[in-house]
Amino acid sequence: MELVLLILIPLVFAALIALRPAQESKFLAVIGTLLAAAVGVNALGRFDWGSPGAMQLEAAWAWLPALGLELSVGVDSVAMLLIALTLLLGPICVFCSFTAISQKERTYYAWLLVLQAAMTGVFCARDVVFFYTCFEFTLVPMYVLISLFGSTNRKAAATKFFLYTFTGSVITLAGLVYVGWYNATQLESVGIETAGRWTFDIGALEAAAQAMPANIQGWLLLAMMCGFAIKIPLFPVHTWLPLAHTEAPTAGSVVLAGVLLKLGTYGMFRFVLPFVPAAMIEFAPVIATLSIIGILYGGLICWVQTDVKKLVAYSSVAHLGFCILGLASLNTVGITGSVLYMINHGLSTGALFLLIGMVYERFHTRSMKELGGLAAHMPVWATFMVFFTMASVGLPGLNGFISEFMCLMGAFQAGDAWGSLPGGTGGSLGFWYALIAGLGMIVAAMYLLYMVGKVVWGPLVLPAGHHHPGHGAGHGGGHGHGHHDGHGHSHGPLPRDLCEREIFVLLPLAVLCLVLGLFPQPVIRALEPAVNRVVETIHLAGERPEKGHGVQASAPATGSAPEVMMVSSGHEGGGK
Amino acid sequence: MTIASDILQAVLPAMLGAPDAAHAPIQPVGAGAWWIGLIPALPLLSCILCGVCAAIKVKSKLPAWLTVLCLGISFMLTVWMFQQFAGGRSVTVAWEWINLGWTDSQGQRQALVANFGFYVDSLTCLWMLFVTGLATLIALYASEYMSHDVGAGYCRFFAAFGLFVFSMACLVMGDNLILLYLGWEGVGLCSYLLIGYFYKKPSAVAAAKKAFIMNRIGDLGLALGVFLAFVQFGSVEYKVLLDAARPYIEAAQAGHFDEIPFTVQLIPILLMVGAFGKSAQLPLYVWLPDAMEGPTPVSALIHAATMVTAGVYLIARTYPLFLVSEYALPIVAWVGALTALVAATIGMAQFDIKRIMAYSTVSQLGYMFAGLGVLTSTGAAFHVFTHAFFKASLFLACGAVMHGFAGQLDLRKLSGVGFMKGWQVVALAMLVGCLNLAGFPFTAGYFSKDMILAEAFVTPHMAPIGWILLLTAGLTAYYTFRVFFRVFVGPKSFEPGDEVHAHADHAHGDHGHGDHGHDAHGDHAHAADHGHGHAAGHGSGEFHPHAPGWAINFVLAALTVLSIGAAGLYFLGDHGGWVAKMVHESSANLPAVAHDAHGSEGHAHGTFLGMDPHKVMYYVSGIVGAVGIIIAFGLHYLGRKTAATANADKLVPLLGPIPKLAQGKWFVDEIYDFLIVKPLHLVSIVFAYVDKLLVDGLVNTFGWIPRAFGSGLRPLQGGNLHGYAVQMAGGVALLLLIVFLASIAGL
Amino acid sequence: MGADLIVLAQQGFPTPMGGATLAHYLLVSAIMFAIGLIGFLTRRNLIVMFLCTELMFQAGGLALIAFSRFHLEHSGQTFVIFVLTVAAAEAAMALALVVLLFRKRESLDADEWTEMKG
Repeated sequence: MELVLLILIPLVFAALIALRPAQESKFLAVIGTLLAAAVGVNALGRFDWGSPGAMQLEAAWAWLPALGLELSVGVDSVAMLLIALTLLLGPICVFCSFTAISQKERTYYAWLLVLQAAMTGVFCARDVVFFYTCFEFTLVPMYVLISLFGSTNRKAAATKFFLYTFTGSVITLAGLVYVGWYNATQLESVGIETAGRWTFDIGALEAAAQAMPANIQGWLLLAMMCGFAIKIPLFPVHTWLPLAHTEAPTAGSVVLAGVLLKLGTYGMFRFVLPFVPAAMIEFAPVIATLSIIGILYGGLICWVQTDVKKLVAYSSVAHLGFCILGLASLNTVGITGSVLYMINHGLSTGALFLLIGMVYERFHTRSMKELGGLAAHMPVWATFMVFFTMASVGLPGLNGFISEFMCLMGAFQAGDAWGSLPGGTGGSLGFWYALIAGLGMIVAAMYLLYMVGKVVWGPLVLPAGHHHPGHGAGHGGGHGHGHHDGHGHSHGPLPRDLCEREIFVLLPLAVLCLVLGLFPQPVIRALEPAVNRVVETIHLAGERPEKGHGVQASAPATGSAPEVMMVSSGHEGGGK
Repeated sequence: MTIASDILQAVLPAMLGAPDAAHAPIQPVGAGAWWIGLIPALPLLSCILCGVCAAIKVKSKLPAWLTVLCLGISFMLTVWMFQQFAGGRSVTVAWEWINLGWTDSQGQRQALVANFGFYVDSLTCLWMLFVTGLATLIALYASEYMSHDVGAGYCRFFAAFGLFVFSMACLVMGDNLILLYLGWEGVGLCSYLLIGYFYKKPSAVAAAKKAFIMNRIGDLGLALGVFLAFVQFGSVEYKVLLDAARPYIEAAQAGHFDEIPFTVQLIPILLMVGAFGKSAQLPLYVWLPDAMEGPTPVSALIHAATMVTAGVYLIARTYPLFLVSEYALPIVAWVGALTALVAATIGMAQFDIKRIMAYSTVSQLGYMFAGLGVLTSTGAAFHVFTHAFFKASLFLACGAVMHGFAGQLDLRKLSGVGFMKGWQVVALAMLVGCLNLAGFPFTAGYFSKDMILAEAFVTPHMAPIGWILLLTAGLTAYYTFRVFFRVFVGPKSFEPGDEVHAHADHAHGDHGHGDHGHDAHGDHAHAADHGHGHAAGHGSGEFHPHAPGWAINFVLAALTVLSIGAAGLYFLGDHGGWVAKMVHESSANLPAVAHDAHGSEGHAHGTFLGMDPHKVMYYVSGIVGAVGIIIAFGLHYLGRKTAATANADKLVPLLGPIPKLAQGKWFVDEIYDFLIVKPLHLVSIVFAYVDKLLVDGLVNTFGWIPRAFGSGLRPLQGGNLHGYAVQMAGGVALLLLIVFLASIAGL
Repeated sequence: MGADLIVLAQQGFPTPMGGATLAHYLLVSAIMFAIGLIGFLTRRNLIVMFLCTELMFQAGGLALIAFSRFHLEHSGQTFVIFVLTVAAAEAAMALALVVLLFRKRESLDADEWTEMKG
């Protein structure tokens, strides 16, 4: 029931905001997100952390019984943690918009809350169609947020964002519906309980998809990756992301980086890995290679950016590359690292976008040519900036390290040469994948320190027209930055350095970064069973080549047997 | 037969002969005491307290005193730990950090376990003693040195300082490789923050960035080493790892390296890349000299005494893994020796005294690596220990000079400082430090350097390394005393630092110091004056050198005493002294024990010109050091009338381009820039364009196709009602026609 | 009984519409449709054009009813009732629009209006 409330509360408040006068919308948005967060805390408490791998807090209503559609919700530890991240970022997004958004507040906050409801729905859903509905519905609020509240090129960015991600995910839908059809019509003779009737329950379809012959699994993988890879985004389908990030308002960027990208990785974790394990074993090197290209290519592009926000946007391409590499390693360490990465990237990159937004609000520029040495001008901001940059670089002791290290380690362990060694898991990645992806660590240091070196350190540079701080200018206090309303953003008087509200927005993220860096074990323990469940599925797929053969031969499956044999023998060769 | 197998063949049978070495029962790992966790926790506490001070805008020296207090207690706890736990092996687990399990394909339960735990044995104690001890002293020194920055900068400095000691403690005390990695990158961060302390100065920011990135290159090697160690042995914890290599030692001693899995042999090679990065060895050494942009206490603590020895610590800690690799130790030895030589040649040609000290650090680190490579981890550890004290005192003396002369570091602009009022302690500290560094007989540096040199000649096939190191010893003595003879003795003359330095290292704080009474006007007037190119002799008219206060003097005196006293350690205990005992008791023990046994059995080993290196090296290295000092005396003291010129200048033209090249640091930075940075930047720009034009262009093309299709059909929509009607009627007619034709054709 | 009725329906009742078969109805329907179509294509006056569309509508309706009778089924007739209802609503709408258009341009010429050009 908590989960349903988590979806409904933001929706109800969105409706309230739409109905009430604009002066109340901020207030209502705060109440709505905080209430959702409170219910979320309650859900976290009611979640049985003793068996985090099982689906919990389940609830279901019939939706379209003729097709077996259900509005069913339920979470395991992975989904629960991602929901927690969503609920945490909700109030943060509202608080960070107080001064940045001064027009059409009702539209803004209402859609922000709708977005939160949709994202929560994605992580809760236990029905494929419900999942997909929420997955796609995130596009609408995001489209509105970008196209109404973005910067100069916002219309084009919003359109591209919508069309690009939508095109991909339609194919994903086709793939998922195919699984439903396959389950209902092609699987009667196999001993799967739910086979032979229409259902879109994720668990039921998981069993059905696993029973598919390998070549169909391959096509299904391709179909599902069409949507998820664009959403993540994986090289080479990433180009919507920098554009959307640069144009989106701050809160939009935070949600985009913090949660929306995770829909893709979560989709991979929830659908691709358990649905098509045999195909995943076969295609892991391809996906890993693409992710590594993304790591290095995205990182190097960051290095030559002059727009801070674009730099951080491209860094997401690189970071999510690590995340996918962890998933593609198909072992416990890699996948756990990857799930941790989803959360950690949301915290650190979300915070970086917040920080950039705060500077943008003050100076109306994000160009590194016009900004420099802000440490002298805004010491508190600079402190946070360095902190979150270090979290993003993957400095041990902060959150990014654990996940990045585990993703790389997972890739390393998945070498076919060391299947027999105690720490090796066998697989088709290995030393070279880890080494080349590891170069991304160096590149990350290069571009992030380049950014910090320009913006935070160095001689003070402020955009033309800004008061250069006089000598002996005191700390805090309004410093007369109120003359910048030419852009139509008439923001309230912001102090020179961060105000209390802004610090309040950043602090929880900073604390979580530290806590997850130093005490990640509770989270790791919670993830372990959920991840191991997936890993065991993959093991089974690797060990049983004839799995697809019990299926009715109605599907054109004849060419699949040699492929399966080849894949599994390769895997087993590593595994023995 | 390769070199490495020769070495191990010579050494390892003897080891097996010694009953309590390789075949000794594995010492059980005991439980440590809870208070061991306080040793890293207290510096962290001081970091947090300094952060609080910054938040509440403390404008006094409170952060410094808090730091000194915390570090002091931490040091005392370390001494206690040394008394309680040295000699054994114990692990104190503070909390579970990472513990992730799975079932492998054989149905075995495997787990990645890395606790926030502290592994204590003699090696840990040895390192922690000088880390916390020196950190306390240097924090005290910094309390005065940084006094011009009291306020936010002061808090920032000491927060980073505390964080550094915490990270270093994690590095040294961590009970697994991942915690070591945490410390490893943590010290890198603090190094970054402290090098970039004067963040308004672009060169400091660039240096900080360079240090971090260079270190990251090494860190990648370390990370891969950790992965491989885990894959190979299923654990990253020392208590498993250090004993895991034992089964392979027999194969190694028989020279059958082909029986040892390639992966096992690869681990040390990967780990060593990390060590090269952190300890500034070829080819990753270029960051360390630039790191001197940071405040001098930082240079003394991080970039001379402690952090840069982390590489030595890593290799010493994982010595059993290095022993079973065919190429690892020879590579370490050669890289160390070459680094020692290259850095010494650069150091000879520099004029900035802090930079000279930086290159001497690189060079001495090369010595330590060479020591590890020629199987004397004792020598290496002893050199680390002595070097920490004398190099810290050298740096702090340089820092005192810099502090007193408004940032002046050019040895051509300072002379006779030791004879000025209030500078005696500094000059004495400098002299003792120089003697140590030069390896003057009966100093601590002499004994530790000697141990490495002798072992290099003893170890088969390593004689070339011995010769390189001997040459380096001579060069070291020369450039060290070049500094001493130019700056601290000779005619009294000085020129204060220029405004860049004053601005950077001293802000405007010197003048606020009160008790010396010189004011900003004097300084500015003077700066304008010397801008006309006067070389020397401004004397005390406008600018008063700012003699060090009690804290600096006290710390320098203490370090001087300690660096003299360190020599005494050599005579404590039986063979090789106290440090040898400490190393023997730890994981780095194997070669040292081997060496003992092999010495006593009279096994054939290398000689120095037909003599036993152990016997003659004392004299040889003493003579070499003395020769270096005498040359420096002749070239830089004899007949020198001014600060700017000395006899050495006459020699320069005779050497052709060499001095120019050495002064330009052999242009390694430029070569890197040209070969790596520039091409990479170019590639990045190309990528940025490819992304915009090709990758995104393709996407836009796909978006363009329906649009083009639509605009092709667009003219059909004429807007005229009759047009539509005609089209519709035509369409219907066409349809009918098709149906009609189809029915005729019988379809 | 049912078979006889179908035969009667398909071959025509003897009285009073003796001889009128499906073909006759369809012919009328086709003629009406052709008149409507030609009118729609050739006339310029919006109201006349609108009347022509109505004519085509009713031609379709007539054909539907004829077929309905022919098959002795009611669905065709039901459908026609719907069509008539919609057509009535449509007529109201369309005439209102035409009046508005006339007010704007004082003309009923269809060629005056080409704003919907693509």
